[in-house]
Amino acid sequence: MTALTKHMARLKSGPAGENTGLLLMLAVLVMAFSLASPRFLTGANLGSMGFQMPLLGLLTLAMLAPIISGGLNLAIVYTANICGLTLAWTLMQFGGAEAGIGAFLLGGALAVIVGVIAGAIMGAVIAYVGAHPILVSLAMMIFLRGLGEFLTRGGDISGFPEYMRVLGHGTVAGVPVPLILFAVIAFGWHVLLRRTPHGFSVYMTGSNLKATEYAGLNAKRTLVLIYALSGLLCAIAGILMAARFNSVRVGHGEAMLLITVLACFLGGIDPFGGHGRVFPVIIALVILQVLSSGLNLIGANQHLATAVWGLFLIAVMVLRSDQLRLLGKLFFRKDN
Amino acid sequence: MKKFTGLVSALALTVGFASTAMAETSMGIVVKIGGIPWFNAMEDGIKRRADELGVTAEMIGPVSADPALQVQAIEDLIAKGVDVIGVVPNDEAALEPVLKKARDAGIVVISHEGPGLENVDWNFELASADGFGEAHAELLSQKVPDGGKYAVYVGSLTVPLHNAWADAAIAWMAANRPDLEIVGDRYGVAENVDDSRSTALDLIAANPDLKGFLAFGSQGPIGAGRAVEERRKTGEIHVMGPFSPGQGRQMIHSGVLTGGYMWNPAQAGEVFVTLGNMLANGETVEDGADIPGLGVVHPDAAGHDIITNNLLEINKDTVDELAEKGL
Repeated sequence: MTALTKHMARLKSGPAGENTGLLLMLAVLVMAFSLASPRFLTGANLGSMGFQMPLLGLLTLAMLAPIISGGLNLAIVYTANICGLTLAWTLMQFGGAEAGIGAFLLGGALAVIVGVIAGAIMGAVIAYVGAHPILVSLAMMIFLRGLGEFLTRGGDISGFPEYMRVLGHGTVAGVPVPLILFAVIAFGWHVLLRRTPHGFSVYMTGSNLKATEYAGLNAKRTLVLIYALSGLLCAIAGILMAARFNSVRVGHGEAMLLITVLACFLGGIDPFGGHGRVFPVIIALVILQVLSSGLNLIGANQHLATAVWGLFLIAVMVLRSDQLRLLGKLFFRKDN
Repeated sequence: MKKFTGLVSALALTVGFASTAMAETSMGIVVKIGGIPWFNAMEDGIKRRADELGVTAEMIGPVSADPALQVQAIEDLIAKGVDVIGVVPNDEAALEPVLKKARDAGIVVISHEGPGLENVDWNFELASADGFGEAHAELLSQKVPDGGKYAVYVGSLTVPLHNAWADAAIAWMAANRPDLEIVGDRYGVAENVDDSRSTALDLIAANPDLKGFLAFGSQGPIGAGRAVEERRKTGEIHVMGPFSPGQGRQMIHSGVLTGGYMWNPAQAGEVFVTLGNMLANGETVEDGADIPGLGVVHPDAAGHDIITNNLLEINKDTVDELAEKGL
């Protein structure tokens, strides 16, 4: 084998290696926490983590696709809030806690439409005006936040029908409903990104916008579509949030925005776009959840948990760096 | 294979621990946000009381005041299998489903500053709106033996709590000191030092017989105090209201600020543990019971509220100690 093919082979095995690394990290954490707290590997705790992770997970997936396309969506949390408000408002029109399942379906559909529109507007401005995604989504975030606070005057809408509890707190055969929802959507998202022409365009757009356009792909349409889909996921997250909290207010979940970015990068998404897969991001989410719940179980300070998250991200960056690989090569030259 | 055996031994340990760790009462108290002086003081109170009673209690302070984080922390506590969950809610409505879950799991739920919560065993308050307003009015009345005028500040005309305090104070004055007359209506300036100061300067100029300011809102006493100092009316015009002891320390010592009341977060922390331990041991809260930290209580069973008046006076003697706690 020539050096070049060897290099190619290593590049190809890259993602698999990434997964092993993350899984190993996860295994170490699970072991450490189960030794530190007898409560860690119990059904109750696993269930609690299963209820907590999907919300962050959905928002992370909503963040993931724009990052792969070379952008960022800072408006995810407020899009979710606005969609939640849409649902809440619809339910209130049909009698609040007495609203039937039809009202919920209508509200959910309206919420999804609002989310898609908010996303599509961002995508269109990014694609056709050529503005930077950070600025566009920041503007959208501020707009949605202001709009929501204007409409609700900073208060909350609460008191939803009883059946919504099932969505937020129910279980099917012991598995939390939100987790099932998340698994289905994550699988769909994976298929969309890896197995469809649209997903291919997203990766290509993220790698090199100009080249993609010259190659005859409609990069602009791809961008509009991916932000619209990101908005769709935000809407689902917003509906889930409403079901879990039985109330909607602008600002619920705002602490999650930066954690979604953290989860994406921990999961090996290229910050400059073009590379990254859904599966490692999900492992990264599980790692973050294990850290957060585990530290809560052993009674550690919450601020320590965030500090540990930060350290983890730095450690992952260092482990992934090319310099370290070169250093490794130097030591294990004979094996090569 | 090695990893697998490791996992098995971890599981075995799990089972071993789980059977021994259930004996004593354990509690988790989720507050609005961690790492700020108010809740650090509360944590001190929780730890102190837990040591006294021989129970385990921990405080969880989320990194931001986001109700979503409180929900997660409570879910973790349910999973942990604590006996008592305490909460100081950021957003009452958002916590109802998860608190219901906790109560369904047989956990005692106690809240503080959450009078609207439904899914709690008890909510306790250390200051009632009426008691808080009346205490300030009484303080003013003591300082001003002769008749005259006084002005009332609130943080903003739309802050319900401040207006409730002001209502109670004005009603008390009307009933007990008819010789003291209120100037105009209440002024919604007390969230802002400069507005409080300039309004006070105008009022002092316009009313030569002005004797005092009742300033409800954290910046009101500070601003009014500065105006009094500038006009050299220290001792003639009295300023009182709730404020941050650290911020008002100098002004208290120079006599510009007379003082005010607050409630003690450390005491609230102690009450969480005391009350939690009582309820976990199957005791009930009866009318007229004397609970350490709360005093004799008259609970409102329908609203799950225990409202008491355990006010802490901020004056020359107490301000240094309070300020040193970072409050």
